[in-house]
Amino acid sequence: MTAAFIGGYMVTMSLHMLLMTFLDKATLFNTMKFSVFILWAVLMVLALLAKNGWKIWGIYLGLSLVFFLPYLLHLTDR
Amino acid sequence: MNLRNYNIYFHTHTVSGIIISLVLYVIFFAGSFAFFKSEIANWQQNTPNAAVQKSQIDMNRVRDTMAADMDLYGRDLYITLNERSSRMIVSATTSKDTTVKGRGGFFYMDAADFVKMDYRQSYDLGEFLYRLHFLAPLNVIGGRGFPFGYYLAGIVAFLFLFASITGTLVHWKKIVSNFYVFRPWEKLKTLWTDIHTALGVITLPFLFVFAVTGAYYLISFPLVTQPVAASQYGGSTDSLLQATSTRVTNYDFAHQRVGQAPDLNAYFRDARQKMPETEIRNIVVNNYGDQSMRITVNGANPRKNFTGTASVVYSGASGQVEKFTPLERPSSYNKAVDNLMYTLHFGNFGGNIVRILYFLLGIAGCIVIISGVMIWLVARNKKNIPEKKRRFNEWLANIYLSASISMYPVTAATFIAVKLNSEAGRGFIYSFYFWVWLAITILLVLRRNNYKTTRDCLLLGGLLGLAIPIVNGLVTGNWIWVSWRHGYYDLLFIDLLWMVMGITTLVTWMLVVRKQQGKLKIALAAA
Repeated sequence: MTAAFIGGYMVTMSLHMLLMTFLDKATLFNTMKFSVFILWAVLMVLALLAKNGWKIWGIYLGLSLVFFLPYLLHLTDR
Repeated sequence: MNLRNYNIYFHTHTVSGIIISLVLYVIFFAGSFAFFKSEIANWQQNTPNAAVQKSQIDMNRVRDTMAADMDLYGRDLYITLNERSSRMIVSATTSKDTTVKGRGGFFYMDAADFVKMDYRQSYDLGEFLYRLHFLAPLNVIGGRGFPFGYYLAGIVAFLFLFASITGTLVHWKKIVSNFYVFRPWEKLKTLWTDIHTALGVITLPFLFVFAVTGAYYLISFPLVTQPVAASQYGGSTDSLLQATSTRVTNYDFAHQRVGQAPDLNAYFRDARQKMPETEIRNIVVNNYGDQSMRITVNGANPRKNFTGTASVVYSGASGQVEKFTPLERPSSYNKAVDNLMYTLHFGNFGGNIVRILYFLLGIAGCIVIISGVMIWLVARNKKNIPEKKRRFNEWLANIYLSASISMYPVTAATFIAVKLNSEAGRGFIYSFYFWVWLAITILLVLRRNNYKTTRDCLLLGGLLGLAIPIVNGLVTGNWIWVSWRHGYYDLLFIDLLWMVMGITTLVTWMLVVRKQQGKLKIALAAA
């Protein structure tokens, strides 16, 4: 449950942030108005299908970390 | 599809559905009426829209009325027209010149008499139902600065998106074959199931759109805007919105007063000629009275260009056109998304037919929710489930049903109450609506009989609904035929809406009672 709700949100947001580093920010921000909620809900469904709650938490955390790498490594020019 | 996945879909659909059901019902019910927000306001105040010619509004008088109470210099002045109401929204921002004191403000102004009213003074039933549909009255719980009601409604909208996705997955295999199955005379559970799935499938696209746009309106600020601002724009949401918004344009302030007040009527007239096929939506004066003043007139026509708008920008200093965007120009992606989210949620793209359709779909949403709760209850009312748990389920369903179905007669009664009390403002509507609702709900909960709850609410709602046009006629003299003759279609619409709803519910009431009596007879004959 927590993996679905919080983990799904983290993956969604970090993926969009990643896209923001190389796509036009304004366009993407407007896309996010709807894509965030749809992707989040789909990720929730996927997480609830998983057989092991800890494993899906791990996958989602890992994905968020990978997506967020440019920010952690300060690769972006803010 | 394997059985395990099916069970997960089914289970999560049920759990998320039950959690949000009551709140979602309130959102759908009040929201359905909110499509007619302006009509309800016109109806309550007896100010028919048709009484005012929109293209003849004296904009200079609007300007002067505003200037009477504040120095407009350096402010941004917004005059927004409502195509369905004679009430304009007039607002002014804080001045960019710091020597000009006063915070600006937000007002309603009636185009018939130019009387300025603040938000509190013009609060009406339409506004109430509109605000109720995103739970604004619950904001007090979170205290200042934390809109608890909005966030709750937003989370419910998101869980609703989740529930509609899992619901579709549950039903996926049977989506075509079961669509034509409707067995109203079978057992109760199949009736609820058939209603739930058939209406659920029909309204699915609509529900999906509402879940997404609703979540966007209510929770995208804390969940999307603020994180993005934090990571990309140095934590400033203002600069983020500046960079991405298609609505706000800032012009550098020159700190140089110009003597003459702008002739807004001239700009209004000229803009109407430049954009003949559009409806003027608003007039914006940026940096009022300054050398850098700009006057922008925005118009739209969703029948010609679904996502685009037209606008003319004039320079206040020279009076010349600075930028002209005709309606035919395809709109940019950003603008299209922005408009689409708004248009799809508010249903204001195809005139009254679309809004009536949206209303019916909204009510259908209410029925999907109730039938879902009933399936849940009936499915759990079996011998193999412990008595204690069954009691609890019944108790919960009883509260859900009492609170949701009683909304119908309470809403009808409030329409009558605001007609009888011409002073009805926010305080009156709040106390009337919520106390009556609470009282009826408690009575129905205590009686603990779902059949009687439904029966009596239908009867009461139907009778009150039919009484609404009569009360309106008695109080204002605008009987249905009078409104018809004068072309007051907005007043007529609310009267007719309640008449049709009243008759429909009375017929439903009759069918429900007959069916129950038939059942009793069979039971008696068997005994």
